Amino acid sequence: MAWFKRNSRALLFVAALVGVWAAVTALRLVDPIVLPSPASVARAVPRMLRERLLSDVALTLGRVLGALAIACLFGIPLGLYLGYRKGMYQVIESPLHALRSIPASALFPLFLIIIGVGEKSIVALAAYPSLLVILVNAVSGATLANKRRLYQARLLGLDTLDTITEVLFYEALPNIFDGIRTAVSYALLLVIAVEMFIGLDERGLGRAIYEYQSTYRIPETYGAIIVAGVIGILLNAVVSQIEHRMLRWLPNVQED
Amino acid sequence: MSVAAPSPACALELEDIVFAYPARADSGNGQLYAGFSLTVGLGSILALMGPSGSGKSTLGRMMAGLLTPQAGNVCWSEQFANRWDVVYVDQHAINSVFPWQTVAENIKYPLQKLGWDRARRQERICYLMSLLRIGALADAYPASLSGGELQRVALARCLSWKPQLVILDEPFSALDRRVKAEIIAALQELAPRDGMTLVLITHNVADALALGTRCVVIGQRPVRIISDREFTTAYPREPGTRDYVAMQQTLIAGIRDGLV
Repeated sequence: MAWFKRNSRALLFVAALVGVWAAVTALRLVDPIVLPSPASVARAVPRMLRERLLSDVALTLGRVLGALAIACLFGIPLGLYLGYRKGMYQVIESPLHALRSIPASALFPLFLIIIGVGEKSIVALAAYPSLLVILVNAVSGATLANKRRLYQARLLGLDTLDTITEVLFYEALPNIFDGIRTAVSYALLLVIAVEMFIGLDERGLGRAIYEYQSTYRIPETYGAIIVAGVIGILLNAVVSQIEHRMLRWLPNVQED
Repeated sequence: MSVAAPSPACALELEDIVFAYPARADSGNGQLYAGFSLTVGLGSILALMGPSGSGKSTLGRMMAGLLTPQAGNVCWSEQFANRWDVVYVDQHAINSVFPWQTVAENIKYPLQKLGWDRARRQERICYLMSLLRIGALADAYPASLSGGELQRVALARCLSWKPQLVILDEPFSALDRRVKAEIIAALQELAPRDGMTLVLITHNVADALALGTRCVVIGQRPVRIISDREFTTAYPREPGTRDYVAMQQTLIAGIRDGLV
């Protein structure tokens, strides 16, 4: 109940959007083939649930989470280490930014050649830009680490591993979460896009959207797209929850 | 840094220090230090004073090994075998607190890292928290503390492992009078108890007189010692006594003479 109260404005806005949508279709301003009514999309959802919607969602979600896990597992430690050894980062900074500016989707054919058609190449392709963005954020967070706290670490004789895991990790955590937030949208975007192109038996939400569209099941197409949006919102909410828990110590006002 | 040990009763010996910052565009001011020497006795509390811009912080940083003089020696007592025996704490000490740890964790962390056993650790934490009156804040995160509370936590953290030589560089400049008095009282108890040698860098005569067992005024350029006086009156010291006023006048005159 409290949640509804807190988000009442946002919910009202969504309701208004649906209202406009309903009005547009009721007045036949747009061809129903292009834009079906909200009611017909709602009626499509039980049909989709009887088909494969849940397994599609589970597959897509699994791929996204897998990509994010890989991105965090490698991006965070690597980024912190490079932020600690700034000299090394200066060497690879330019090539790294060059890599980042290549759209990940352009690399997809390469991934297919290297990894092959299948689960792995979907996850790998989604993990790739996610990893880079988390890494770059971890580097900048670690680079901005407070000098006096680093002096403390040096004074206490902390080795590289301790300095990274017990000091730099926390110093960079706000930046790391910025990176993860961006990575979530990258991963979801790429997984769904790539699923459209690969006709695996385990199809996923992207393939579902594509198949619904190509069989002219337009209400289902819209339904699947909305589900994808909801997944994005939920993933973001989960990240925010984790961030809130892990950063509850963070001062509201930035220190010098 | 020289390996030559100073004479036995010395915590710190500066010998013929030469130091110059890279020449700045606006002035051709040559060497800040050109052959400066100073010894600090073990267990003493040296109040280091001087007009602003006189090079006090530079000297403090050289004492702590954070700056290396271009010539001359800085030697620490050979009793200070570990790097953590010498600590430099500046006016932004509150930033040395780890914001992701609670107050108690902040004090505990260095002790854990230095391998203190649980019982010793617990005793030390309790003592420091009651001395600095932060016991009630044990489980609070630094972000929720006031500036004065934070400064006390920072001090408890930096002094937790009983460092042997502590250089406090303007530690009170951001504090109100009451918090300052509390911290000074804590240091009066803590320094002799831990056998700590303290260098208090300050521009405030009252702070120097509250804590110093020896007051040194430096100034002019290149820097030299303007006045160097022992001040052994027991704590707490009442302003207005004859000794106190005499010292006060010496210091004020010294700082005036130290102006470039």
